[in-house]
Amino acid sequence: MKTDLHIGDPDGFYEAWVAAHDGLSESESADLDARLVLLLANQVGDLQVLLDCIAAARAARG
Amino acid sequence: MTSTAEVWKFAPAYELPSWPFVVPADLAARERSRYPVVIAGGGLAGLTLACDLALRGIAVVVLDEDDTVGVRGASSRGICYAQKSLEIFDRLGVYERIRAKGITWSVGRTFSGADEIYSFNLKDESLSEQPPFINLQQFYLEWFLVERIGELAPGAIRWKTKVVGVEHRDDGAVIEVETPAGRYSLEAEWFVDATGANSRIRDELGLEAHASRHTDRWCISDVRFKKPFAVERWTWIDAPFNEGRGVWQHLMADAVWRLDYQMDEHADPESISRPEVAGARLREQLGPDVEFEFVWIGPYQYRDHLLDTFRVGRTIFIGDAAHVVCPFGARGGNNGIQDAANLGWKLALVLRGEAGESLVDSYQHERHAAAAENLRITSRTARFLAPRSAAEHRLRRAVVDLARRHEFARRLANTGRMAQANDYPPSPWAPAGARSLQNVAVDGTSVVRLLADGTRFLGLWVGASRSEAAALGDDLGARLPIAVHALDPAGALARHLGAHAGAGTVTGTGAGTRSGVGTGSFILVRPDAYVAARIDSPTPATIEAALRRALSLEAAP
Repeated sequence: MKTDLHIGDPDGFYEAWVAAHDGLSESESADLDARLVLLLANQVGDLQVLLDCIAAARAARG
Repeated sequence: MTSTAEVWKFAPAYELPSWPFVVPADLAARERSRYPVVIAGGGLAGLTLACDLALRGIAVVVLDEDDTVGVRGASSRGICYAQKSLEIFDRLGVYERIRAKGITWSVGRTFSGADEIYSFNLKDESLSEQPPFINLQQFYLEWFLVERIGELAPGAIRWKTKVVGVEHRDDGAVIEVETPAGRYSLEAEWFVDATGANSRIRDELGLEAHASRHTDRWCISDVRFKKPFAVERWTWIDAPFNEGRGVWQHLMADAVWRLDYQMDEHADPESISRPEVAGARLREQLGPDVEFEFVWIGPYQYRDHLLDTFRVGRTIFIGDAAHVVCPFGARGGNNGIQDAANLGWKLALVLRGEAGESLVDSYQHERHAAAAENLRITSRTARFLAPRSAAEHRLRRAVVDLARRHEFARRLANTGRMAQANDYPPSPWAPAGARSLQNVAVDGTSVVRLLADGTRFLGLWVGASRSEAAALGDDLGARLPIAVHALDPAGALARHLGAHAGAGTVTGTGAGTRSGVGTGSFILVRPDAYVAARIDSPTPATIEAALRRALSLEAAP
């Protein structure tokens, strides 16, 4: 799992991510993020990396 | 109230055969008889094992407390028989009857609402003489097996004979039974418990079964109607005609459709299975004008368990007595059948003194691993089909919504991963693990037919001449249970073995590449059509060593 920055334009990505949620209800937003996770997971492919990402996401819970 | 006052029609109940209780000589005998193998339970697993052993010339006794097949007053339990099971039944001599009576299929489709979101065709990966699947009511299969056992070993099945006590000993078991004519005891060198999920033999041994019960609730309607549905496995994750819950649709013999409806988990099982309630569900699915008649209606919940060990001394557990998984993907009955096929040749060879007794431990090693894998796979399906929280519903919704648009997500829609012959992990008997061979046609015969004769291993020598193979077979076969067959490196079986690469490679790294198997290599196939070893640069000594290892025999002096 990469933990150093790998996203080409981080601010641009964040802006687009936020914009994708514009006008959605809380439930619709959560649905969108779930679809996004699946699409991104398929880009990653490697199961071990995905498992590491799941663990890291859980560990970072505020 | 609905406005219809529809009259629900029921087909007459199935007329199952029954067999008479015959007073055994044991009842009046002064000395207790000792048998090589006694099997308690005449269900799929027990009957398959009895048939297998009878075919291999081992005297076997089956104790069945009933006098018929199936479950009286109930419908069929298992319906889908997988290729490996069909190949086993081909060897046992009941496949043609199964094929003639059953429904052959290979295509599965998964729907969400009105949209197809995933499909598969199991034929794409099939090279076998048997199809990927045949659907058949379980009692027909048991019926065919009973008649076949009757041909091979008349009287082997003792009907209306209930096990009431078992004394487990170091050298076997003493089994006390109750019959209409009284009680008697018999001894077994090997005792097999095939009495199913509620085995008392298992429970009385105090074995931990790690049982768990699922809350997901379903209701089966077995129905006959005239609407021309596709002869395929159709599953809905969320059917519009079942309040957005799951539905299964499958054809069995005698034009009976099995329609299985997922219910609210809090639904009352008695009310959801009333004819008017089940009939209303069917109307919703079939439309107003289709005539139908019920064959059977039955609610159920599922459970699972897995014994830590399938062998306790001379007592061995097979089928549901050892493991039960969720019903998705037909991994129940098929694995009882495969337990039997895994155990049969091992017991036969041990009883004949042609294999070491510890070979029986490989049954535990291999079939426990298979059961654990099946439990894992079916539990994943169960979790997909019955999300436990709003968040889980959301994740499943993401899969379904993306599957409508994108290929990759289709494969995540999990309404069951159909049973296959499980790979076996590395073991002292097969150091690189063991993988099943399909029943591929070869030289006017087939893998199964080459293995049908007695209880011998099959050596496939790639690129050897017939006379070389015969000479090696004569030499090794004089001391060990093996026949050797010369294999054309360009043939379908060699190509299938090539696709097998990785499983069972004993020596070398180069041969057995994905394009085929190397000329000169030697493939050691067990009597259950699993590859025990592949040897890239064989010598008589390395072949014999692999065979002795697979038989649990000491290395040659």
